[in-house]
Order: sequence, then structure tokens, then C-alpha cells
Amino acid sequence: MQVIKRQVKDRPLTVIIEYPEYTGSVEELFRRISALDISFRVLEDGKQIKVSLTDIYYIENVERKLFIYTEKDVYRYDSSMAEVEAMTSGTGLVRISRTCIMNTEHLKEIKQVRNSHLEAALDNDEMLIVSRKYLKAIKDAFNRGQI
Amino acid sequence: MKKILKDTCILAALMILAVFTFSIIWSGITDEIKLVLLLFGLAFVISVVNYLIDEYITVSIIMSYVIKYFAVCAIVMLFGFIVGWFYPSNFWMTFIYVGVVLVLAYLLDSFKVKKDIEYINRHIAERTKEQLS
Repeated sequence: MQVIKRQVKDRPLTVIIEYPEYTGSVEELFRRISALDISFRVLEDGKQIKVSLTDIYYIENVERKLFIYTEKDVYRYDSSMAEVEAMTSGTGLVRISRTCIMNTEHLKEIKQVRNSHLEAALDNDEMLIVSRKYLKAIKDAFNRGQI
Repeated sequence: MKKILKDTCILAALMILAVFTFSIIWSGITDEIKLVLLLFGLAFVISVVNYLIDEYITVSIIMSYVIKYFAVCAIVMLFGFIVGWFYPSNFWMTFIYVGVVLVLAYLLDSFKVKKDIEYINRHIAERTKEQLS
């Protein structure tokens, strides 16, 4: 199998699978790639829109309500942390504390502040508190080579 | 190596429980069996408290271990007095036993956190480099 990647500016992320015959492994490959194309249906000004997983920076649970944070916007999402976790299992979205799921694709750095708490710096310069208990989940995401 | 050690501990615990189950069936609960079962019970209570502290309290590493130290000391002393491990004269030994275990755990935890952070940041740097090239 040949793997070719190339940058095409101003176009959405596109995966093309070329195959001589449609076999079980092609189907499996197709299924796996499709599983990564997760999006969340949210409401914006009464209109339903889709937020792609890659656009999500983090998801936060505030008083039992979920909020999806993209680079600049925030959307309310009707679901639970457990459901989101199940839905995004095996992707770059990992739980970093009891109330937050972070997209490791947008992670810029993890730092320990004065031997105290851990902070995750995102590429939009937002900072999130990381619970030590969940540090392994972030490491595992990088280990799996998903990011 | 870590996985092997972890699996060894789980297997040893299962072996102890399996052997003791047969011993209890044949000859009832002896003092040794009672002690081991109590230790399992104590380990379970401590694990639950440890989980709750990690899950619900967000403080620095040192502060989390200070909280754990007092919580575990309280549990061990309470448990020890209930099951008759301690006499009023030797209860202070709890502070030493728990202290030694937690200092070791703290040192291991701090080292592991540092290594994990280095690992993650190294991968992020590699990813950024790849994206730029």
C-alpha cells in the first residue's frame, strides 16, 4: 500500500482511497477513516450546524451542560461527557479532567506550574487545567499515533 | 516491566484468594486468613479514597499527597482500632508506615509526571516540525 500525502491549500481535508479491487481490507480502511470523520450537531441562532471534530479545541462540562469550544466560538451541546467520550474513542479527543475533554490536535504544550498543577496550552493561546490522573490518556493518544 | 509487575501482583492476589477460598471451605477462617482478608478490605477502602481525591480535588502534587497522607492515616487508624491491630500506645506507628509509603509514591509520581510531560512535549515538537516542513 502506498501512502501519499500532499498539501492543497484552501481545500477541505480530503482522503482518496484508490484500489485495484474492493476487498475486505479496503472496506476496513474505509470504515476506519470514516470513523475519524466525526462531527457534532449544535444549534447556532436556532439553526442546526455541524462542528467537525478537527475544529473542536475542547469540550467542557459546566453545571451538567456541555459546551463545545472551537478556536473562536462556543456552542451548547446536548449530551453527556460519557457519550462524547464513547463517540470520540480512538480519536485525538481525550479527557484531561473531570469536566474537560481536550483535542490533542490543538495542544501546543503541557507544563507544570511551579511543581504544582499541570496546564495545557492550546494553539489559540487558551490554557486548560490538566488533572495528573489523565496525563496518561494524553500520552496514550500520542502513543497510538493518532495525532 | 511495569506491566509484568502489575500482572504479577494481580495474579498473586488471585492465587491468594483462590487458595484461601478452599481453606475457608475446609477449615474455616483462621487468624492468618482473617488478617489477609482485612488487608484486602483496607486496600480497597484506601483505593476508593485515593480515586475520589484524584477525581474531585484539583491541587498541587504536594498538597494532594498531604491530603492523602492525613486521609490514609485516619483510615488506617480507624481500621486498625476496629480490627484490633493497634493498642493506644502504638497507634503513632501509623504515621510512620503511611508516611514512608506516601513519600515513595510521591517521588515516583513526580518522576513519572515529569517524564510524561517531556514525552508529550517532544511529540508535539516533532509534529510541529513535520507540519512546517
